[in-house]
Amino acid sequence: MTELQKDPITRGDFLGFGLLGTVVGAILTIPPVAFVLSPVIKTDLLGESDIDEGWQEVASVSDIPTDEPASFTIEFPIEQIYAGPDVQNQFPDEKRSDEEFTLKNAVWLSWKSEINHDTGKIAKVERPSFLDEKSSGFSESEREELKKNINVLSNSCAHLGCPVRWLINLDGKGEFLCPCHGGLYDINGTYEGGPPPRDMYRYVNVKIEEDGKLYVKHGYDIEPGLDKQQPYVV
Amino acid sequence: MIGRARSQAADASKFVVDWMEHRTGVVTHMEHFLYEPVPKRGAWVYTLGSACLFLIALQFLTGILLLFYYVPTTDHAWDSVYYIMNDAYFGVLIRGIHYWSANFLMAVIGMHMAQVFFSGGYKAPRELNWVVGVVLLLLVIGLAFTGYLLRWDQDGFWASVVGMKIGSYSPFIGGATIHFLLGGDTVGPATLSRFFAIHVWLLPAAIAPLIGLHLYLLRRHGVFGSESEYTERLAKLHETQRLEEYSRLEMGDDPYDDDDDRYGDNGSRNGRE
Ligand code: FES
Repeated sequence: MTELQKDPITRGDFLGFGLLGTVVGAILTIPPVAFVLSPVIKTDLLGESDIDEGWQEVASVSDIPTDEPASFTIEFPIEQIYAGPDVQNQFPDEKRSDEEFTLKNAVWLSWKSEINHDTGKIAKVERPSFLDEKSSGFSESEREELKKNINVLSNSCAHLGCPVRWLINLDGKGEFLCPCHGGLYDINGTYEGGPPPRDMYRYVNVKIEEDGKLYVKHGYDIEPGLDKQQPYVV
Repeated sequence: MIGRARSQAADASKFVVDWMEHRTGVVTHMEHFLYEPVPKRGAWVYTLGSACLFLIALQFLTGILLLFYYVPTTDHAWDSVYYIMNDAYFGVLIRGIHYWSANFLMAVIGMHMAQVFFSGGYKAPRELNWVVGVVLLLLVIGLAFTGYLLRWDQDGFWASVVGMKIGSYSPFIGGATIHFLLGGDTVGPATLSRFFAIHVWLLPAAIAPLIGLHLYLLRRHGVFGSESEYTERLAKLHETQRLEEYSRLEMGDDPYDDDDDRYGDNGSRNGRE
Protein backbone atom coordinates (compact mmCIF):
# COMPACT_ATOMS: atom_id res chain seq x y z
CA MET A 1 0.00 0.00 0.00
CA THR A 2 1.27 3.43 -0.84
CA GLU A 3 1.04 6.03 1.85
CA LEU A 4 -1.67 8.38 0.69
CA GLN A 5 -2.30 10.34 3.80
CA LYS A 6 0.54 12.70 4.58
CA ASP A 7 -0.93 14.49 7.60
CA PRO A 8 -3.18 12.32 9.69
CA ILE A 9 -6.40 14.01 10.82
CA THR A 10 -8.24 13.46 14.06
CA ARG A 11 -11.51 11.59 14.29
CA GLY A 12 -13.36 14.80 15.17
CA ASP A 13 -11.97 16.58 12.14
CA PHE A 14 -12.87 13.65 9.96
CA LEU A 15 -16.48 13.64 11.14
CA GLY A 16 -16.66 17.40 10.85
CA PHE A 17 -15.42 17.35 7.27
CA GLY A 18 -17.78 14.51 6.48
CA LEU A 19 -20.78 16.42 7.79
CA LEU A 20 -19.76 19.65 6.10
CA GLY A 21 -19.12 17.76 2.87
CA THR A 22 -22.59 16.19 2.97
CA VAL A 23 -24.33 19.50 3.57
CA VAL A 24 -22.38 21.37 0.91
CA GLY A 25 -22.77 18.44 -1.49
CA ALA A 26 -26.53 18.41 -0.98
CA ILE A 27 -26.78 22.16 -1.49
CA LEU A 28 -24.82 21.85 -4.70
CA THR A 29 -26.56 18.79 -6.16
CA ILE A 30 -30.23 18.99 -5.19
CA PRO A 31 -31.18 22.12 -7.20
CA PRO A 32 -29.67 21.02 -10.55
CA VAL A 33 -30.90 17.44 -10.20
CA ALA A 34 -34.43 18.51 -9.29
CA PHE A 35 -34.30 21.06 -12.10
CA VAL A 36 -33.47 18.43 -14.71
CA LEU A 37 -35.78 15.80 -13.26
CA SER A 38 -38.81 18.04 -12.72
CA PRO A 39 -40.91 16.25 -15.39
CA VAL A 40 -40.19 12.95 -13.64
CA ILE A 41 -41.16 14.41 -10.27
CA LYS A 42 -44.33 15.98 -11.68
CA THR A 43 -45.50 12.88 -13.57
CA ASP A 44 -44.35 10.02 -11.39
CA LEU A 45 -44.57 11.47 -7.89
CA LEU A 46 -47.31 14.09 -8.18
CA GLY A 47 -49.27 12.27 -10.90
CA GLU A 48 -49.70 15.33 -13.11
CA SER A 49 -50.23 15.05 -16.84
CA ASP A 50 -49.39 17.35 -19.73
CA ILE A 51 -52.44 16.21 -21.67
CA ASP A 52 -55.78 17.99 -21.45
CA GLU A 53 -58.36 15.99 -19.50
CA GLY A 54 -61.43 17.17 -21.42
CA TRP A 55 -63.66 15.48 -24.01
CA GLN A 56 -62.44 15.54 -27.61
CA GLU A 57 -64.65 14.91 -30.61
CA VAL A 58 -63.72 11.93 -32.80
CA ALA A 59 -66.41 11.31 -35.39
CA SER A 60 -70.07 10.65 -35.93
CA VAL A 61 -71.23 7.06 -35.38
CA SER A 62 -72.81 6.95 -38.81
CA ASP A 63 -69.32 7.38 -40.31
CA ILE A 64 -68.24 3.97 -39.07
CA PRO A 65 -68.31 1.45 -41.93
CA THR A 66 -70.12 -1.85 -41.48
CA ASP A 67 -67.44 -4.47 -41.83
CA GLU A 68 -64.13 -2.71 -41.52
CA PRO A 69 -62.59 -0.12 -39.19
CA ALA A 70 -62.06 3.50 -40.10
CA SER A 71 -59.43 5.79 -38.65
CA PHE A 72 -60.02 9.30 -37.38
CA THR A 73 -57.58 11.77 -35.88
CA ILE A 74 -58.08 13.48 -32.57
CA GLU A 75 -56.01 16.18 -31.02
CA PHE A 76 -55.57 16.56 -27.30
CA PRO A 77 -54.23 19.97 -26.27
CA ILE A 78 -51.00 19.63 -24.33
CA GLU A 79 -49.07 21.88 -22.01
CA GLN A 80 -45.33 21.64 -22.04
CA ILE A 81 -42.90 24.50 -21.40
CA TYR A 82 -43.74 27.24 -23.89
CA ALA A 83 -47.01 25.56 -24.85
CA GLY A 84 -48.44 26.14 -21.38
CA PRO A 85 -51.42 28.49 -21.01
CA ASP A 86 -49.50 31.03 -18.92
CA VAL A 87 -47.08 31.53 -21.77
CA GLN A 88 -49.71 31.40 -24.51
CA ASN A 89 -52.12 33.77 -22.77
CA GLN A 90 -49.63 36.26 -21.42
CA PHE A 91 -50.33 38.67 -24.26
CA PRO A 92 -53.73 37.58 -25.59
CA ASP A 93 -53.64 39.95 -28.54
CA GLU A 94 -50.37 38.64 -29.89
CA LYS A 95 -50.09 35.01 -30.73
CA ARG A 96 -47.05 33.42 -29.15
CA SER A 97 -46.71 30.65 -31.66
CA ASP A 98 -48.18 29.60 -34.96
CA GLU A 99 -48.64 26.08 -33.80
CA GLU A 100 -51.38 24.80 -31.56
CA PHE A 101 -49.63 22.40 -29.27
CA THR A 102 -51.52 19.18 -29.39
CA LEU A 103 -50.99 15.50 -29.13
CA LYS A 104 -52.30 14.08 -32.37
CA ASN A 105 -53.54 10.52 -32.12
CA ALA A 106 -55.37 8.32 -34.54
CA VAL A 107 -58.35 6.31 -33.39
CA TRP A 108 -59.69 3.22 -35.11
CA LEU A 109 -63.45 2.94 -34.85
CA SER A 110 -65.29 -0.25 -35.75
CA TRP A 111 -68.32 -2.28 -34.77
CA LYS A 112 -67.63 -5.15 -32.44
CA SER A 113 -67.55 -8.29 -34.53
CA GLU A 114 -67.55 -11.99 -34.05
CA ILE A 115 -64.72 -13.70 -35.86
CA ASN A 116 -65.01 -17.09 -37.49
CA HIS A 117 -62.08 -18.96 -36.00
CA ASP A 118 -61.47 -21.20 -39.00
CA THR A 119 -61.33 -18.63 -41.76
CA GLY A 120 -60.47 -15.61 -39.63
CA LYS A 121 -63.21 -13.68 -41.39
CA ILE A 122 -65.87 -11.59 -39.73
CA ALA A 123 -68.91 -13.72 -38.95
CA LYS A 124 -71.28 -11.28 -37.33
CA VAL A 125 -71.26 -7.52 -36.85
CA GLU A 126 -72.97 -5.97 -33.82
CA ARG A 127 -74.22 -2.93 -35.67
CA PRO A 128 -77.54 -1.76 -34.24
CA SER A 129 -80.21 -1.86 -36.94
CA PHE A 130 -81.74 1.51 -36.00
CA LEU A 131 -78.69 3.13 -37.58
CA ASP A 132 -80.13 2.40 -40.99
CA GLU A 133 -83.04 4.72 -40.28
CA LYS A 134 -81.44 7.68 -38.52
CA SER A 135 -78.06 9.28 -37.96
CA SER A 136 -78.97 11.59 -35.10
CA GLY A 137 -81.50 12.10 -32.34
CA PHE A 138 -80.61 8.94 -30.45
CA SER A 139 -82.36 8.15 -27.21
CA GLU A 140 -80.59 7.32 -23.96
CA SER A 141 -80.89 3.56 -24.42
CA GLU A 142 -79.86 3.70 -28.07
CA ARG A 143 -76.74 5.65 -27.11
CA GLU A 144 -75.94 3.03 -24.51
CA GLU A 145 -76.26 0.29 -27.10
CA LEU A 146 -74.08 2.14 -29.59
CA LYS A 147 -71.44 2.71 -26.98
CA LYS A 148 -71.45 -0.94 -25.99
CA ASN A 149 -70.90 -2.09 -29.57
CA ILE A 150 -68.17 0.23 -30.79
CA ASN A 151 -64.46 -0.56 -30.61
CA VAL A 152 -62.55 2.63 -29.83
CA LEU A 153 -58.95 1.63 -30.37
CA SER A 154 -55.76 3.65 -30.26
CA ASN A 155 -53.64 3.16 -33.36
CA SER A 156 -50.51 3.05 -31.21
CA CYS A 157 -49.20 -0.52 -31.28
CA ALA A 158 -49.05 -2.14 -27.84
CA HIS A 159 -45.47 -3.20 -28.50
CA LEU A 160 -43.48 -0.01 -29.06
CA GLY A 161 -46.10 2.39 -30.33
CA CYS A 162 -45.84 2.40 -34.10
CA PRO A 163 -49.07 3.29 -35.90
CA VAL A 164 -50.97 0.18 -36.98
CA ARG A 165 -53.02 -0.06 -40.15
CA TRP A 166 -55.88 -2.18 -41.39
CA LEU A 167 -55.00 -4.58 -44.17
CA ILE A 168 -57.08 -7.12 -46.04
CA ASN A 169 -55.05 -10.04 -47.27
CA LEU A 170 -55.63 -12.19 -50.33
CA ASP A 171 -58.14 -14.58 -48.84
CA GLY A 172 -60.23 -11.68 -47.65
CA LYS A 173 -59.22 -11.73 -44.01
CA GLY A 174 -58.69 -8.32 -42.43
CA GLU A 175 -56.14 -7.56 -39.73
CA PHE A 176 -54.42 -4.68 -38.00
CA LEU A 177 -50.77 -4.93 -38.98
CA CYS A 178 -48.00 -3.00 -37.31
CA PRO A 179 -45.32 -1.96 -39.81
CA CYS A 180 -42.48 -1.92 -37.31
CA HIS A 181 -42.14 -5.52 -36.15
CA GLY A 182 -45.20 -7.20 -37.55
CA GLY A 183 -47.63 -7.15 -34.63
CA LEU A 184 -51.09 -8.46 -35.63
CA TYR A 185 -54.53 -7.81 -34.15
CA ASP A 186 -58.05 -8.62 -35.27
CA ILE A 187 -60.84 -6.10 -35.83
CA ASN A 188 -61.68 -5.97 -32.11
CA GLY A 189 -58.04 -5.19 -31.32
CA THR A 190 -57.44 -8.65 -29.89
CA TYR A 191 -53.86 -9.80 -30.08
CA GLU A 192 -53.18 -12.32 -32.85
CA GLY A 193 -49.44 -12.52 -33.34
CA GLY A 194 -46.06 -10.82 -33.28
CA PRO A 195 -44.18 -9.14 -30.44
CA PRO A 196 -46.94 -7.07 -28.72
CA PRO A 197 -47.55 -8.24 -25.16
CA ARG A 198 -51.28 -7.46 -25.11
CA ASP A 199 -54.34 -6.36 -27.09
CA MET A 200 -54.53 -2.93 -28.66
CA TYR A 201 -55.23 -0.05 -26.30
CA ARG A 202 -58.88 0.91 -25.97
CA TYR A 203 -60.06 4.33 -24.87
CA VAL A 204 -61.93 3.88 -21.62
CA ASN A 205 -63.80 7.16 -21.47
CA VAL A 206 -66.19 7.28 -24.41
CA LYS A 207 -69.46 9.16 -24.75
CA ILE A 208 -71.98 9.51 -27.57
CA GLU A 209 -74.15 12.59 -27.82
CA GLU A 210 -77.71 12.75 -29.11
CA ASP A 211 -76.50 13.94 -32.50
CA GLY A 212 -74.44 10.77 -32.87
CA LYS A 213 -71.06 12.40 -32.26
CA LEU A 214 -68.53 10.27 -30.41
CA TYR A 215 -66.22 11.87 -27.84
CA VAL A 216 -63.27 10.46 -25.90
CA LYS A 217 -61.02 11.49 -23.06
CA HIS A 218 -57.34 10.66 -23.05
CA GLY A 219 -56.81 7.41 -21.14
CA TYR A 220 -56.49 3.72 -21.93
CA ASP A 221 -57.43 0.36 -20.50
CA ILE A 222 -54.32 -0.40 -18.54
CA GLU A 223 -54.87 -3.01 -15.88
CA PRO A 224 -54.70 -1.53 -12.41
CA GLY A 225 -52.05 -3.88 -11.08
CA LEU A 226 -49.74 -3.24 -13.96
CA ASP A 227 -47.20 -0.46 -13.76
CA LYS A 228 -48.65 2.36 -15.82
CA GLN A 229 -45.51 2.41 -17.95
CA GLN A 230 -45.34 -1.23 -19.02
CA PRO A 231 -45.87 -1.04 -21.88
CA TYR A 232 -45.82 2.71 -22.22
CA VAL A 233 -48.36 4.56 -24.32
CA VAL A 234 -48.71 8.25 -25.08
CA MET B 1 17.60 33.00 -55.45
CA ILE B 2 15.08 30.31 -54.74
CA GLY B 3 17.67 28.36 -52.79
CA ARG B 4 18.32 31.36 -50.57
CA ALA B 5 14.65 31.94 -49.91
CA ARG B 6 14.23 28.31 -49.02
CA SER B 7 17.08 28.25 -46.57
CA GLN B 8 15.82 31.48 -45.00
CA ALA B 9 12.40 29.99 -44.57
CA ALA B 10 13.93 26.89 -43.03
CA ASP B 11 15.92 29.04 -40.61
CA ALA B 12 12.86 31.05 -39.67
CA SER B 13 10.72 27.97 -39.02
CA LYS B 14 13.52 26.40 -37.00
CA PHE B 15 13.69 29.55 -34.93
CA VAL B 16 9.91 29.46 -34.25
CA VAL B 17 10.00 25.77 -33.38
CA ASP B 18 12.96 26.22 -31.04
CA TRP B 19 11.34 29.24 -29.43
CA MET B 20 8.12 27.28 -28.75
CA GLU B 21 10.03 24.25 -27.55
CA HIS B 22 12.00 26.27 -25.01
CA ARG B 23 8.97 27.91 -23.57
CA THR B 24 6.34 25.15 -23.72
CA GLY B 25 8.08 21.88 -24.58
CA VAL B 26 5.34 21.42 -27.15
CA VAL B 27 7.54 19.80 -29.80
CA THR B 28 8.67 16.95 -27.58
CA HIS B 29 5.10 16.42 -26.50
CA MET B 30 3.89 16.34 -30.08
CA GLU B 31 6.55 13.81 -30.93
CA HIS B 32 5.55 11.74 -27.96
CA PHE B 33 1.86 11.89 -28.86
CA LEU B 34 2.05 11.55 -32.62
CA TYR B 35 4.74 8.94 -33.23
CA GLU B 36 4.16 5.39 -32.31
CA PRO B 37 6.22 2.37 -33.37
CA VAL B 38 3.89 -0.33 -34.70
CA PRO B 39 4.74 -3.67 -36.26
CA LYS B 40 5.04 -3.51 -39.98
CA ARG B 41 2.59 -6.29 -40.65
CA GLY B 42 -1.04 -5.18 -40.51
CA ALA B 43 -0.10 -1.61 -39.63
CA TRP B 44 -3.36 -0.36 -41.15
CA VAL B 45 -5.55 -1.87 -38.46
CA TYR B 46 -3.81 0.39 -35.95
CA THR B 47 -5.34 3.40 -37.68
CA LEU B 48 -8.93 2.50 -36.76
CA GLY B 49 -8.73 4.39 -33.46
CA SER B 50 -7.46 7.48 -35.24
CA ALA B 51 -10.27 7.07 -37.76
CA CYS B 52 -12.78 7.23 -34.88
CA LEU B 53 -11.08 10.32 -33.54
CA PHE B 54 -11.16 11.93 -36.97
CA LEU B 55 -14.87 11.18 -37.42
CA ILE B 56 -15.72 12.52 -33.97
CA ALA B 57 -13.75 15.67 -34.76
CA LEU B 58 -15.84 16.02 -37.94
CA GLN B 59 -18.98 15.63 -35.83
CA PHE B 60 -17.91 18.44 -33.54
CA LEU B 61 -16.99 20.77 -36.39
CA THR B 62 -20.03 20.20 -38.60
CA GLY B 63 -22.26 20.16 -35.51
CA ILE B 64 -21.05 23.62 -34.52
CA LEU B 65 -21.73 24.82 -38.06
CA LEU B 66 -25.26 23.35 -38.12
CA LEU B 67 -26.05 25.22 -34.90
CA PHE B 68 -25.80 28.48 -36.80
CA TYR B 69 -29.12 27.68 -38.51
CA TYR B 70 -30.85 24.91 -36.57
CA VAL B 71 -33.76 25.97 -34.34
CA PRO B 72 -34.69 23.51 -31.58
CA THR B 73 -38.44 24.21 -31.37
CA THR B 74 -41.27 22.01 -32.55
CA ASP B 75 -42.67 24.70 -34.83
CA HIS B 76 -39.39 25.48 -36.56
CA ALA B 77 -37.01 22.52 -36.28
CA TRP B 78 -38.09 20.87 -39.51
CA ASP B 79 -38.15 24.17 -41.40
CA SER B 80 -34.67 25.08 -40.24
CA VAL B 81 -33.34 21.73 -41.45
CA TYR B 82 -35.13 22.38 -44.73
CA TYR B 83 -33.46 25.77 -44.91
CA ILE B 84 -30.04 24.19 -44.29
CA MET B 85 -30.65 21.68 -47.03
CA ASN B 86 -32.05 24.05 -49.63
CA ASP B 87 -31.02 27.64 -49.04
CA ALA B 88 -27.81 27.79 -47.03
CA TYR B 89 -24.66 27.58 -49.15
CA PHE B 90 -23.10 24.11 -48.88
CA GLY B 91 -25.82 23.16 -46.40
CA VAL B 92 -26.21 19.79 -48.08
CA LEU B 93 -22.49 19.20 -47.72
CA ILE B 94 -22.23 20.25 -44.08
CA ARG B 95 -25.29 18.32 -42.98
CA GLY B 96 -24.30 15.41 -45.22
CA ILE B 97 -20.91 15.19 -43.55
CA HIS B 98 -22.55 15.33 -40.11
CA TYR B 99 -24.98 12.58 -41.11
CA TRP B 100 -22.58 10.27 -42.91
CA SER B 101 -19.68 10.61 -40.53
CA ALA B 102 -22.10 9.74 -37.73
CA ASN B 103 -23.08 6.59 -39.60
CA PHE B 104 -19.49 5.67 -40.41
CA LEU B 105 -18.50 6.39 -36.83
CA MET B 106 -20.70 3.58 -35.56
CA ALA B 107 -19.19 1.16 -38.10
CA VAL B 108 -15.61 2.23 -37.45
CA ILE B 109 -16.09 1.97 -33.68
CA GLY B 110 -17.28 -1.59 -34.24
CA MET B 111 -14.17 -2.42 -36.28
CA HIS B 112 -11.92 -0.67 -33.77
CA MET B 113 -13.40 -2.72 -30.92
CA ALA B 114 -13.10 -5.93 -32.92
CA GLN B 115 -9.45 -5.22 -33.65
CA VAL B 116 -8.68 -4.52 -29.99
CA PHE B 117 -10.63 -7.58 -28.93
CA PHE B 118 -9.04 -10.04 -31.34
CA SER B 119 -5.53 -8.75 -30.80
CA GLY B 120 -6.02 -9.01 -27.03
CA GLY B 121 -5.38 -5.29 -26.64
CA TYR B 122 -7.69 -5.15 -23.59
CA LYS B 123 -5.38 -7.31 -21.45
CA ALA B 124 -3.27 -6.05 -18.56
CA PRO B 125 -2.16 -3.30 -18.23
CA ARG B 126 -4.70 -1.88 -20.72
CA GLU B 127 -7.98 -2.98 -19.08
CA LEU B 128 -8.96 0.54 -18.01
CA ASN B 129 -8.57 1.81 -21.53
CA TRP B 130 -11.08 -0.80 -22.67
CA VAL B 131 -13.47 0.36 -19.94
CA VAL B 132 -13.11 3.99 -20.96
CA GLY B 133 -13.64 2.92 -24.56
CA VAL B 134 -16.90 1.18 -23.71
CA VAL B 135 -18.14 4.31 -21.92
CA LEU B 136 -17.25 6.27 -25.04
CA LEU B 137 -19.23 3.78 -27.13
CA LEU B 138 -22.30 4.28 -24.93
CA LEU B 139 -21.97 8.05 -25.17
CA VAL B 140 -21.75 7.83 -28.96
CA ILE B 141 -24.87 5.66 -29.02
CA GLY B 142 -26.58 8.28 -26.87
CA LEU B 143 -25.52 10.98 -29.33
CA ALA B 144 -26.79 8.96 -32.28
CA PHE B 145 -30.12 8.39 -30.55
CA THR B 146 -30.69 12.00 -29.51
CA GLY B 147 -29.53 13.41 -32.83
CA TYR B 148 -32.12 11.42 -34.72
CA LEU B 149 -35.07 13.25 -33.14
CA LEU B 150 -33.68 16.72 -33.85
CA ARG B 151 -34.65 16.47 -37.53
CA TRP B 152 -38.25 16.39 -36.33
CA ASP B 153 -39.43 14.48 -39.39
CA GLN B 154 -41.53 11.32 -39.41
CA ASP B 155 -38.50 9.06 -39.61
CA GLY B 156 -36.59 10.56 -36.71
CA PHE B 157 -39.74 11.10 -34.66
CA TRP B 158 -40.95 7.50 -34.78
CA ALA B 159 -37.49 6.03 -34.36
CA SER B 160 -37.11 8.08 -31.20
CA VAL B 161 -40.56 7.16 -29.92
CA VAL B 162 -39.77 3.48 -30.39
CA GLY B 163 -36.36 3.97 -28.77
CA MET B 164 -37.85 5.74 -25.76
CA LYS B 165 -40.49 3.05 -25.37
CA ILE B 166 -37.79 0.38 -25.38
CA GLY B 167 -36.31 2.32 -22.46
CA SER B 168 -39.70 2.28 -20.72
CA TYR B 169 -39.53 -1.50 -20.42
CA SER B 170 -36.51 -1.33 -18.12
CA PRO B 171 -37.35 -2.70 -14.67
CA PHE B 172 -38.17 -0.27 -11.81
CA ILE B 173 -36.94 2.90 -13.53
CA GLY B 174 -38.80 2.44 -16.83
CA GLY B 175 -41.38 5.13 -16.10
CA ALA B 176 -38.83 7.60 -14.79
CA THR B 177 -36.59 6.99 -17.82
CA ILE B 178 -39.24 7.75 -20.39
CA HIS B 179 -40.62 10.72 -18.47
CA PHE B 180 -37.10 12.09 -18.18
CA LEU B 181 -36.59 11.78 -21.93
CA LEU B 182 -40.06 13.04 -22.87
CA GLY B 183 -39.91 15.93 -20.42
CA GLY B 184 -43.43 15.09 -19.28
CA ASP B 185 -45.85 12.35 -20.20
CA THR B 186 -46.19 13.04 -23.90
CA VAL B 187 -44.02 13.94 -26.87
CA GLY B 188 -44.03 17.69 -27.22
CA PRO B 189 -41.91 20.82 -27.17
CA ALA B 190 -40.16 19.70 -23.99
CA THR B 191 -39.01 16.49 -25.63
CA LEU B 192 -37.25 18.31 -28.45
CA SER B 193 -35.62 20.79 -26.07
CA ARG B 194 -34.27 17.99 -23.90
CA PHE B 195 -32.92 15.98 -26.77
CA PHE B 196 -31.29 19.12 -28.07
CA ALA B 197 -29.68 19.86 -24.71
CA ILE B 198 -28.45 16.30 -24.37
CA HIS B 199 -27.19 16.07 -27.95
CA VAL B 200 -25.49 19.42 -28.14
CA TRP B 201 -24.18 20.03 -24.64
CA LEU B 202 -24.41 17.17 -22.20
CA LEU B 203 -22.96 14.30 -24.20
CA PRO B 204 -20.29 16.24 -26.13
CA ALA B 205 -19.13 17.76 -22.85
CA ALA B 206 -18.89 14.26 -21.39
CA ILE B 207 -17.25 12.71 -24.41
CA ALA B 208 -14.43 15.24 -24.84
CA PRO B 209 -12.57 14.64 -21.55
CA LEU B 210 -13.07 10.89 -21.88
CA ILE B 211 -11.44 10.95 -25.31
CA GLY B 212 -8.53 12.77 -23.67
CA LEU B 213 -8.32 10.07 -21.02
CA HIS B 214 -8.51 7.35 -23.68
CA LEU B 215 -5.57 8.89 -25.55
CA TYR B 216 -3.57 9.43 -22.38
CA LEU B 217 -3.96 5.79 -21.37
CA LEU B 218 -3.12 4.72 -24.90
CA ARG B 219 0.12 6.67 -24.86
CA ARG B 220 0.97 5.44 -21.40
CA HIS B 221 0.92 1.80 -22.46
CA GLY B 222 1.40 2.05 -26.20
CA VAL B 223 -0.85 0.56 -28.82
CA PHE B 224 1.26 -2.50 -29.34
CA GLY B 225 3.41 -2.99 -26.26
CA SER B 226 7.11 -2.35 -26.01
CA GLU B 227 9.51 -4.23 -28.18
CA SER B 228 11.06 -5.85 -25.13
CA GLU B 229 7.64 -7.03 -23.98
CA TYR B 230 7.25 -8.69 -27.35
CA THR B 231 10.70 -10.36 -27.43
CA GLU B 232 10.23 -11.54 -23.87
CA ARG B 233 6.99 -13.23 -24.77
CA LEU B 234 8.62 -14.85 -27.77
CA ALA B 235 11.53 -16.11 -25.66
CA LYS B 236 9.09 -17.59 -23.15
CA LEU B 237 7.28 -19.40 -25.94
CA HIS B 238 10.53 -20.91 -27.23
CA GLU B 239 11.44 -22.02 -23.76
CA THR B 240 8.16 -23.89 -23.17
CA GLN B 241 8.41 -25.56 -26.54
CA ARG B 242 11.97 -26.70 -25.81
CA LEU B 243 10.88 -28.13 -22.47
CA GLU B 244 8.01 -29.98 -24.11
CA GLU B 245 10.38 -31.50 -26.59
CA TYR B 246 12.71 -32.68 -23.81
CA SER B 247 9.94 -34.27 -21.82
CA ARG B 248 8.79 -36.09 -24.90
CA LEU B 249 12.33 -37.49 -25.45
CA GLU B 250 12.54 -38.51 -21.79
CA MET B 251 9.35 -40.48 -22.07
CA GLY B 252 11.06 -42.64 -24.67
CA ASP B 253 9.11 -41.28 -27.54
CA ASP B 254 11.77 -41.02 -30.24
CA PRO B 255 10.93 -38.06 -32.46
CA TYR B 256 13.24 -39.24 -35.24
CA ASP B 257 11.42 -42.54 -35.44
CA ASP B 258 8.90 -41.34 -37.96
CA ASP B 259 7.11 -38.18 -38.87
CA ASP B 260 4.84 -38.21 -35.87
CA ASP B 261 4.92 -34.45 -35.37
CA ARG B 262 3.33 -34.19 -38.79
CA TYR B 263 5.53 -31.31 -39.83
CA GLY B 264 7.27 -33.10 -42.66
CA ASP B 265 10.81 -34.39 -42.94
CA ASN B 266 12.83 -31.29 -42.51
CA GLY B 267 10.42 -29.46 -40.26
CA SER B 268 10.31 -29.34 -36.53
CA ARG B 269 8.15 -27.29 -34.26
CA ASN B 270 10.90 -24.85 -33.59
CA GLY B 271 11.28 -24.13 -37.23
CA ARG B 272 7.66 -23.12 -37.58
CA GLU B 273 7.21 -19.97 -35.67
S1 FES C 1 -44.19 -1.54 -32.52
FE1 FES C 1 -45.77 -2.75 -33.34
S2 FES C 1 -44.83 -4.68 -33.46
FE2 FES C 1 -43.26 -3.49 -32.57
